[in-house]
Amino acid sequence: MLNRAAVEGTALALLALSIAFVWVRHRRASRPESDGGYTTREEVRYEIGRVQSAAYRWLTTTNHRDIGLLYIAFGTVAALWGGMDAMMLRTELLTPPADIWTPETYNALFTTHGLTMLIFFVLPVFFGIGNYVLPLLIGADDMAFPRVNAVGFWLLPPALVLVRMGLLIQVTGQVLNLFLPEETIRFFLTVREVSVGWTLYAPLSVQQPNPQIDLLLLGLHLSGIATTVGAINFIATVAYERAEGVTWGNLDIFSWNMLVTSGLALFAFPLLGSALVMLLLDRNLGTTFFATQGGGPILWQHLFWFWGHPEVYILFLPATGLMSTILPKFVGRKLFGYQFIVYSTLGLGVLSFGVWAHHMFTTSADPRIKLSFMAVSIAIAVPSAIKIFNWITTMWDGDIRITAPFILCAGGISTFIVGGVTGVFLAVIPIDVLYHGTYYVVGHFHLIVVGIIPFLMIAASYYWYPLITGRWYDTRLAKFQSLLIVFGSFVTFMTLLVIGGLGLPRRQAIYPAEYQLAQQIATVGAYIVGLSALLWLYNMLASYWQGAPVSTTDPWGLKRTGQFTREWQWFEKRMIERYDMEPSEPETRRRSYAPEGEPTGLAGGVGTVAQTVSRNAWMAAVGGFVGTVLMSGGLVTAILIGVLDPASFGEISELVGLGANQTVGAVLFLVGGTVTWPLIFLAFSEYLPGRLLFETGLVFATIISSGFAIAFYTGQSGLALVGYLTFVLVSHWAYGLGLTVTFQFLKSDEALRSDGGAFGR
Amino acid sequence: MSSGSQSTVFQYVAPFVGVLLIAVGIAGAVPGGYAILEPDLENCGNPTIGVESPEMTAERFGGETPRPRVARLAFEDLSEAEQTAFREALDDAVGEAQVVGAVPNADAFRRGAVVSYQGEDHYVTIVAENTCFQAAPLQFPLGVFAIALGVLGILTPPLYRRLIRLEQRAKRSE
Repeated sequence: MLNRAAVEGTALALLALSIAFVWVRHRRASRPESDGGYTTREEVRYEIGRVQSAAYRWLTTTNHRDIGLLYIAFGTVAALWGGMDAMMLRTELLTPPADIWTPETYNALFTTHGLTMLIFFVLPVFFGIGNYVLPLLIGADDMAFPRVNAVGFWLLPPALVLVRMGLLIQVTGQVLNLFLPEETIRFFLTVREVSVGWTLYAPLSVQQPNPQIDLLLLGLHLSGIATTVGAINFIATVAYERAEGVTWGNLDIFSWNMLVTSGLALFAFPLLGSALVMLLLDRNLGTTFFATQGGGPILWQHLFWFWGHPEVYILFLPATGLMSTILPKFVGRKLFGYQFIVYSTLGLGVLSFGVWAHHMFTTSADPRIKLSFMAVSIAIAVPSAIKIFNWITTMWDGDIRITAPFILCAGGISTFIVGGVTGVFLAVIPIDVLYHGTYYVVGHFHLIVVGIIPFLMIAASYYWYPLITGRWYDTRLAKFQSLLIVFGSFVTFMTLLVIGGLGLPRRQAIYPAEYQLAQQIATVGAYIVGLSALLWLYNMLASYWQGAPVSTTDPWGLKRTGQFTREWQWFEKRMIERYDMEPSEPETRRRSYAPEGEPTGLAGGVGTVAQTVSRNAWMAAVGGFVGTVLMSGGLVTAILIGVLDPASFGEISELVGLGANQTVGAVLFLVGGTVTWPLIFLAFSEYLPGRLLFETGLVFATIISSGFAIAFYTGQSGLALVGYLTFVLVSHWAYGLGLTVTFQFLKSDEALRSDGGAFGR
Repeated sequence: MSSGSQSTVFQYVAPFVGVLLIAVGIAGAVPGGYAILEPDLENCGNPTIGVESPEMTAERFGGETPRPRVARLAFEDLSEAEQTAFREALDDAVGEAQVVGAVPNADAFRRGAVVSYQGEDHYVTIVAENTCFQAAPLQFPLGVFAIALGVLGILTPPLYRRLIRLEQRAKRSE
C-alpha cells in the first residue's frame, strides 16, 4: 500500500513550490531589468528588507481589507489541502478493492477532507470576502472591532495545524526515522490522521485511542472561538457602523446574508464547543456524557447536528448573498424581490435550527418527533425556492453578459436546484431511511458545497478582482475555468447521485465491481474540478503581476444600469485620488428594472392599480373560459378515440373532497381554466418569451401542459401514449390561443371604446 | 465556430478536451504507475491485522469464554511475521499493523481468532487484505501520453494567438 503521509506531504510540497514559482516568475517578468538581468547584492538586500517589512505588516495589520485577504489566502490553502485529500480518496475509488490506500487510510482521507473543507475552507473564505467588502458596502471605515478581527483570524492557523497535526506528525516521524531508531521517535510513529468520520460519532470517537483525536478536538474548539469572535464583529459592524443613509430597508443583500450567517454562528458554535469539551472529557477523564451508562451515544448526534445543520446554512447563506449581489450586475437588472429574499434569508436562519434530527431518521428517536422534523425539513425548501425564483426572474429577459461571474452564477443556480431538490427527498423519512449512508447523500450535498458555494466564491473573486488588485484577470481563461468547474461538478456528483440511488453505501474503500465504471467517471469529474481550481489559482496569481491595468473607474460598466454600488464608488474615489482618473461616464444610461415601480400590466397601467387589476382579471376570466371551451373540444376528441380516460376527471373532484364524480370534476376543471390559470398567466406573462401575446400564450400553454400530462396519465403506453401526449399538447395550445386572442380582442375593443369616448367629448 | 481570434474551437473546445484528457490520463497513469512500482514496495498481499485489548475482547464476548467456533491460538503458535505484527498492533494508536511475511493463520484471523499473549486474551482479525494492484501494462504509458496531449490542448489558446500574430506579421511584411 502507498504511504499516505509521504504521498500527500510530497504532493503538497510540490504544489507549494509550483505556486511560489508562478508568483516569483510573474513578478520578475513584470518588472524591468535595467542592468541586463543580473541580480546585484543591493537588490538582494533590498529584497530581504522588503520581505521583512511585508511580513511585519501582514502579521500586525488590523485593516479590514488586509485581514480579508489573509482570510481568503488561508481558506485557499485549506481548500488545496482538503482538495488533495479528495483527489487521493477518489483515486482509491478507481478500482473496487482497497489496493492503493488501506481502508484505514481511506477512512482518514474522507474524515480530514470533510473537516478541512467545511471548517477551514468555506467559512474563512466568506469571512474574508465579508471583511473586505462588507465595510465598503455599508460605508464603514473598518470593522467594528479591528483588533478583535485580527485576533479572530490569527486563531485559525493554529487551529488548522492542530486539526491536521496527524499528517504533520506522520511526515516528521518518517523523516526522523531515516536518522533515528524507531524506539526514540515512537510518538511520531504512533499518531496519525483521525479516521472516525467528520461527524466524530460516539462511541467510536470516544473509544479509539489515537491521540490525534484529542488534538483535533482542541483545534476544532479553537476554530469555533475564532468563528464566534468573527461573527460578533460582523453583527456589531452591520448594526453600528452603517453610513448615513444605509438603513435596514436598503442594506445591501450580501450584508444581510453575512448578518444572518453571523447570527447563526453565534448560536451554533458555542454549542459545538460545549459538545467538543464533553467528548474530550469522555475520552480523557472518564466522564460518561456519551457513554451508554450516561447520556448515551445518541446525545452526541443531537448536539453535533444541532450545530451541524445550522452550519450548513452558515456555509450556504453567504453564497446566496453573493449570488443576489453579483447576478444582477451581469443581467443589467436590479435584483427582483429584494424584500422576499431578505425575508427568505431570515426564514432560513430560523428554520435551520429546527431540522437537525433529519440527520438521525435512522436512529430510534420517537417517530412523532421525527415527523415534526420531517415537516420542518420540507418547509425549509420554501425560502430556498423563493431565492431561486427571484434569481431566475432577475435574469428573465435581462441583458445578459456572458462573463465568468455570470457563468458561475448560472451554474450555481442549476447545481443548487438539483442539490436542493434531492435534499427535499431526503427530508422524507421513508426515502431517507432508504438512502441514508449512500452515495445519494454525498451527491446531494456536494452539489451545494461543490456547486453554488465555491462557484460564488470564484465569481466574487473575478467580480471584485479589479477592485482589489487594480488589474484585470485573464478573462478568457476565467470563462473557460468557470465552464470547466460547472461541468466537472455535474459529472462527478450527478454520477454519485445515480450510484447512491442504486444503493451503493458511502464511506467504503471497497465496493462491488459493477460500480467501477461509474466510480471512474466520478473520479475523472473530480480531477476536472481539481484542475479547474488550479487554473483559477494560476489566473489569480499571474494576473496580479501581469494582468492588464484597469483604466476606468467603472470596470464593469455598472453606471449604465444604475448599479454602481458603494464599494465601486469607493474604488472610483481611490482611482481618482491615486491616478487622477476622470470618473467614467457611460454613453447611455437606462433604468434597470425596478420591481418597486409602477406596475404597467397588460392593459397599459391606466387608472389605479385596483382598477387595472380588476379590469385585467375579468378580461382574463373571459379569455380563460373561451380557452377552456376550445380545449375541451380537443380533450373530448381524445376521450372519444380512447387515449384519455374520463375517469381521471373524477380525481379532481376527489381532490377537493367531493368524491370521484366525473361531472363535478369537469366543472371544476372549467372553473380552474377560467379563473386560476388565466390569473397565473397574467402574473407571469411579462416574464415568458414571445414578442406577441399569443406567442407568450403558446409558451405558457406548453409549460402547463406538462403538469396536465402527468396528472391525467392513466398508464397509457405505445401509440396510446403518443396520442395522449399529442392531444394534451394540442388542446393546451388551443387553450393558450383562446385565452390570449380573446384577451387581446377585449382589450382592443376597450381601447376603441375609450378612444371613441374621448373623441365624443 | 467563429473565425479569427475568437475561434471557439481553439479558445475553448481544445483546452476543454485537453483538461478531459489530463483527467482521464491521471486516472490511468497514477494507478498504472503504481502497479509498476508496487512490487518494489514489498507489502502488497500482506494483510493488516487488528488486535483488540483484553478489555475490549472481554466486552466483545460479554465476559464469557469465546465459543468453540472462534479459533483460539497461543502467541507462540503464530509465525514470526505474525508475532511482530501482533506486537506492533498492540503499540499502535488504532490497534492495527501489517503482517510482513508468512501468514499461516490467515484463515483463522479472517474469521476472527483469540490469541493468548502474556496471560491475556486478544481478539485478532484481518482488517485489510492489502491485495496487490492489477493494471493493464499499457495503462501507464497511455495515461502519460493523454496527460501530455492534454497539456498541449490547454496550451492551445496562447499558441493559437501566437500563430495569429505570426500570420499578421507575415501579411504586413508582404
